[in-house]
Amino acid sequence: MKWLGFGFFACLCSALAAADVVQVNEARATYNYQMFCQGCHTPDGSGANYVPPLKNSIGYYLRTTAGREYLVRVPGSATSVLKDAALAEVLNWILLNFGGSSLPASKQFEPYTADEVASLRQRPLEEVFNYRLELLAAAMAVPGKE
Amino acid sequence: MSFIDKLVEKKARQVAQHSSRRGLLKSLGGLLVGASAVPLLPVARASEAPSKPVEYGAEDSCDYWRYCAIDGFLCACCGGSANTCPPGTEMSPVTWIGTCHNPVDGRNYVISYNDCCGKSTCGACLCQADQGDRPPYRPDKTNDINWCLGTSSASYHCSTAVVVGLAFEE
Repeated sequence: MKWLGFGFFACLCSALAAADVVQVNEARATYNYQMFCQGCHTPDGSGANYVPPLKNSIGYYLRTTAGREYLVRVPGSATSVLKDAALAEVLNWILLNFGGSSLPASKQFEPYTADEVASLRQRPLEEVFNYRLELLAAAMAVPGKE
Repeated sequence: MSFIDKLVEKKARQVAQHSSRRGLLKSLGGLLVGASAVPLLPVARASEAPSKPVEYGAEDSCDYWRYCAIDGFLCACCGGSANTCPPGTEMSPVTWIGTCHNPVDGRNYVISYNDCCGKSTCGACLCQADQGDRPPYRPDKTNDINWCLGTSSASYHCSTAVVVGLAFEE
């Protein structure tokens, strides 16, 4: 019976831990990435020529508030036909799948919500290239949270 | 606590008295053989997404099912195929993406229309199909522009139609 009690405790702990994990509908998010992002950002998020990479890079933007906002305000996100919840989900999916070394070792991050996305996409960026360089420089000056 | 222990012990002894080791082996064996046959049943296969769509039509024809939104020369008529570029050309990693309905299995698939670049236009098998094509104010869904954008040369030669995956249906 002791083991039964331990098992119950272990299940409870794993359930509580799972609640912290970012939840996405894998099939839906994959499809939305393929349909609305992959054409430019390529299947594995590597990017091409002037298309910036997502792979091992996108997580850096979460180190600053302006960087976090950028991922929604960038025209490809802000003016996307995806609705707020779907856009939030695909951003979280991209971070989970392509964040790699740019995320903390724990891979934990505060997921985007539909409300946050709805608010931020009202202010789409007009100039992106120089602003992105500034954001990345600022992000690299902030040590990654482990 | 002791009541539960006694109850479990009593039930375990009852099971042991009314079953044999050979009987257990027989049941397990039957279960294993039966389980191996389950995936072969058509019901199980139908519920799974096919890894590859069933092909329909000829690659060098505009009617080929993947070309529902193609606008250009078919690489299959230019020394390549629906998936590959002709020798001497480079496939653009930047592309436009849509969906096509496969008439054989009835499913929709995500199709990537990667252009092959680096040579002058092929000129063979010009096809124009515009399912899902949008005006240039939706650049990611426009097939009218030259998609040789991520390549060393911007010269358009022909177009492929690569299956990316199964479309998500709500």
